Amino acid sequence: MKSPLMPFSKIVFILLCCFALMPSTLFGESVKEYVKITKAGADRIPLVLRSVDVEGSKDAQYAKGIDKVIKNGLAFTGLFAILNSPMNLISGGELYQTGKRQINFPALSSVGAEVYAGGVLKRKGKTLHMDMEVYDALTGKLLMRKLYEGNREDTRSLGHRFCDDLVRLFTGKPSIFGSKIAYVSRRNGKKEIYLADYDGYGEVPVTSTGGLALTPALSSDGRQLAYLTYTRGRPDLQIKDLSRKTVVSVTRKGVKIDPAWRNGSMELATTFSFDGNQEIYLVRKSGSIVRRLTRDRGIDLSPSFSPDGRYMSFVSSRHGSPQVFIMDLNSGTTKRLTFDGKYNTQPAWSPVNDKIAFTTMQKNGEIDIFIVNADGTGLKQLTYRARQNEAPSWSPDGTMIVFSSSRGGASKLYVMNADGRNQRSLKLAGEQMQPCWSSFR
Amino acid sequence: MLLCWVIAAFSVSGCGSKSSETALDTDSGSEQYASSGSDSASASALLEEARRMVKDVFFQYDSAELESDAVSQLKNNAEWLNQNRTISAMIEGHCDERGTSEYNIALGEKRAETTKSFLVRAGVAASRLETVSFGEERPFDSGHTEAAWSKNRRAHFVVK
Repeated sequence: MKSPLMPFSKIVFILLCCFALMPSTLFGESVKEYVKITKAGADRIPLVLRSVDVEGSKDAQYAKGIDKVIKNGLAFTGLFAILNSPMNLISGGELYQTGKRQINFPALSSVGAEVYAGGVLKRKGKTLHMDMEVYDALTGKLLMRKLYEGNREDTRSLGHRFCDDLVRLFTGKPSIFGSKIAYVSRRNGKKEIYLADYDGYGEVPVTSTGGLALTPALSSDGRQLAYLTYTRGRPDLQIKDLSRKTVVSVTRKGVKIDPAWRNGSMELATTFSFDGNQEIYLVRKSGSIVRRLTRDRGIDLSPSFSPDGRYMSFVSSRHGSPQVFIMDLNSGTTKRLTFDGKYNTQPAWSPVNDKIAFTTMQKNGEIDIFIVNADGTGLKQLTYRARQNEAPSWSPDGTMIVFSSSRGGASKLYVMNADGRNQRSLKLAGEQMQPCWSSFR
Repeated sequence: MLLCWVIAAFSVSGCGSKSSETALDTDSGSEQYASSGSDSASASALLEEARRMVKDVFFQYDSAELESDAVSQLKNNAEWLNQNRTISAMIEGHCDERGTSEYNIALGEKRAETTKSFLVRAGVAASRLETVSFGEERPFDSGHTEAAWSKNRRAHFVVK
């Protein structure tokens, strides 16, 4: 197993001597153990998160800001149970110097903690220095110590860098921190595409069509956004380079529906009907066609690709009602994935494994999100009796799903863990739909 | 090969904007055609007549098949359009709010295309008929009952 402590490349970090001398397998074992617990869905990692300590009272405001960012960030992941800190947590040594202060491990055990994280914050001019330490509370072993530096005006990204490392420590994978969600926001009867952080923070408009923009799809590098507009009263596919601000419009005759980027390439798939029937095509970011992928009399739409880009799940009405199918792009072989229910649409293939989320319209008109393995096994319902739950999109690490739900009346964005637990609103103002969670930035 | 592409940079064409009007805002459309002179006055009167005579047709849930009511209405539409060959139409396919919005864009296009095909078979030149789908995005009735839904599952004619 690759050590989860390795991928710290961007930021300066300090290893204590004792930590460096420890065999790395010890950490590997404990990390594996946590992952096992979390995957079982039975428990979250009990974490004591001590507020960062500051020596100067003028810096307390930054500490307060950082604490909130870290606590909210870690709570969002659903990986941790954040416990109240015991009173006598630091039992001696130098309080404002990590590594030289004594952690009271028996006190941590007494509150049920398995992990302790805390640190010291110092301001140097406009820069904040945050020295963080993470211990295994049961054994007293140091799991991580790292110095983070950042602009004092941007405590959010500083705090999230620590959150990212902490999640990587326990999952061995990059986290959601830094990822974005693109979505449709409806205001004054108009639908435009917006972009926000993973938790709904800092939303910004991407389109200003003045009418109707739909189904945003972010490329895996996060730089390209494909979507539909009705700018000229007809549906066009637009591919926007988010950094250069350039837009390619595909104005071919007929509909364009629900684009999706193919992993590992700069190609996307979308439905066109210029040929007289609605078929899925593979398209370059320049808008030119690579090749046609489907060929049948029914409606074909909503492509979503396997992590390696070889397989494509999609919706087809070739047998009558809309159902989810999977195509092997190498051989062209297609098999049907969903059999229960008469209306299965909106497949979303996990970016990390072979799980596919999709929606089913129930007999009473409600729409629910399900997941199923790509081989058809393991069907599991994730939403229940909550009106319309639509358009699932996976977090880049595959641990969460963002979707829209009308459970509270208006359609809003919600996030849940991939097993359906912990469903909560992103609390964006207004109405939103059709979210697309980016890969990493 | 059908790889001939029209790839244009984002542009708003003035003539395209009329066809984006839906059932809810076509009432204001007559002003756009009004100008001085008797020719334009009669053209305006003809458009008024077109709006009265060329009526929408309605569909069953999740279907783009023409029901008997729709067939008889389309026969009337075809007859009028065949007698008034200066009038052309944009056929908008619409859906009710049920189902998922991406699929409804496809279904709306099927409805518009089925409608157009019927009229073409009845003698209306295909060049006079355009189609577009709005899926469930432009409901005629914003209610959440079958009464509202049945009005929204439609092929809507915008004459010009």
